[in-house]
Amino acid sequence: MADDVKALSAQLAQDPASLVFLRLGELLRQRGQLDAAHRVALGGLERHPHLADAHDLYARVLADKRDYERAFDEWDMALRIAPAHVGALKGLAFLYFKVGDVAQAVSHLEAAQRAAPDDPGIIQAVAMVRGGQASAAASGLGIERAPEPAARGAAPLEEARVFAGLEGAQEGLLLLDASGRVLGGALRDPSGRDVSEPVAAYLAGVSQEAARSAKLLGLGTWTGLSAEGRQGHVHLAQPTSEALLLVVRDRSVPMGRLAIIAQRAAQAAQRWLEQQG
Amino acid sequence: MTAAGFGRALDLVTRVRGVRGAMLVSAADGLVVADQLMEGIKGPAVAALAGSLASRLGRAMTAAGVGESVFWHLQGSGGALLVVPAASGILVVAVAEPEVNVGLVRLELLRAAEAVA
Amino acid sequence: MSTRAVEAWTLEPLKRFVSEAAARLVLLMTPAGQVMAQHGFSRAVDVMSAAALSTAIMASTTEIAKQMHQPPFAALTHQGERHGIFLAGLSTNRGTIVALVVYDVDVSSVGLVQLFYEQLAADLQAASPKEGVPKQVLAADFERQLSESLNTLFGR
Repeated sequence: MADDVKALSAQLAQDPASLVFLRLGELLRQRGQLDAAHRVALGGLERHPHLADAHDLYARVLADKRDYERAFDEWDMALRIAPAHVGALKGLAFLYFKVGDVAQAVSHLEAAQRAAPDDPGIIQAVAMVRGGQASAAASGLGIERAPEPAARGAAPLEEARVFAGLEGAQEGLLLLDASGRVLGGALRDPSGRDVSEPVAAYLAGVSQEAARSAKLLGLGTWTGLSAEGRQGHVHLAQPTSEALLLVVRDRSVPMGRLAIIAQRAAQAAQRWLEQQG
Repeated sequence: MTAAGFGRALDLVTRVRGVRGAMLVSAADGLVVADQLMEGIKGPAVAALAGSLASRLGRAMTAAGVGESVFWHLQGSGGALLVVPAASGILVVAVAEPEVNVGLVRLELLRAAEAVA
Repeated sequence: MSTRAVEAWTLEPLKRFVSEAAARLVLLMTPAGQVMAQHGFSRAVDVMSAAALSTAIMASTTEIAKQMHQPPFAALTHQGERHGIFLAGLSTNRGTIVALVVYDVDVSSVGLVQLFYEQLAADLQAASPKEGVPKQVLAADFERQLSESLNTLFGR
């Protein structure tokens, strides 16, 4: 296998524009050399940004690195390029399954099955997902090298896992009630200090003022508040009328992408809140 | 800066399609400094509320460790409020349609903020 | 913080204003200094001083405007390091009312106070009874009436 890596690397060095990076990246990923796989996948993606397989490879590496948020984006991109891409459908199914959205997971697996009816992995994964067996499903999908302990299936989500599947769940996502009390997630400032409670307290006032401004200025119902700071970006959303969700990311995450992340997190939070109620 | 200078800064913002008005607001007081608004937009209300929201948001952002705000955007189902704080304690504010090109408005607000700073 | 009124019709508009403008102290009074409602004061002596000073300022500035052949000033504002003061007169069916508003600059602004003051003026105008204009306060009744007003304002 080492020889394979050596041979493929030599081939890629000789012709950097070739598609051999797909085989090399996957081989490195399977061997657990994730940093090397990451470099190869990213290099290939830079040369072939419109290749669905390149996005799929990069997403697999990211999923192995537990960067599920970016993995989601990459598989999403692969599907935009090739709507029936089996790898991307399986990948998204896996991520949906991880956050407890069984319906979406099954829907993606069924789409994958239509595209590849004879793929035994998909057949197995559909059965497992419906039965709520996460590790078996992940193994059927061939997504993770070392799948995490059983996902929750249709069972109620635990509070600590409100934002499971979204990168930075314990650091950059904060769910609070209308009076500024923390419901889930956590926020740390750049020095590592937990600032969840003071930020939640301030945000209650921000949300009241946002609602009042939207009403008095004829802007309708407020749907989101995004702000660009000197050291980071924030997006405030309202998953329900009684709850607020703050997503914080560094400046490398564009505001538009942050809004998408917030939207997804808001949906996860909404499901969790409904189950609590 | 003269009133004509303020007017030129606001022109940058109001020429973007979908912008219904632009204003310069004193951040600390929530009072109008200069405005170019379509009929029906209440300037003093925009100024007071934008100033108040800017101040509350600023405190939350400082507590969260993301630093001072460079640009913020309140999205509503029927419109949007977009704000860039200028160095001189002035807020450059745009009131816009919900489908406005936010990226373009942001750029023009930043240019206007530079002009009034 | 408590909000209390001698004239009951002033209570709801005042409560709404306090909540919207995030005011710390508010005093509604006649131009003669008779207090109609208050929010946030904890001592009677403070109410009496604030009412006397506010009406004196209003009288002085109205006179200055008259000397300049101008209509009376709409409002007077002063912004300190921590607090702002807003003083203005408004018309109701029961005559002119003077409003003194004190706000924390950290939680409110002169813009917000002005914005919701317009609403307060409209609400008070709408709520004020059209008949039964209060009779002139006679010197002999003044102390008794003042004492009754303060008792009401502080819930005694």
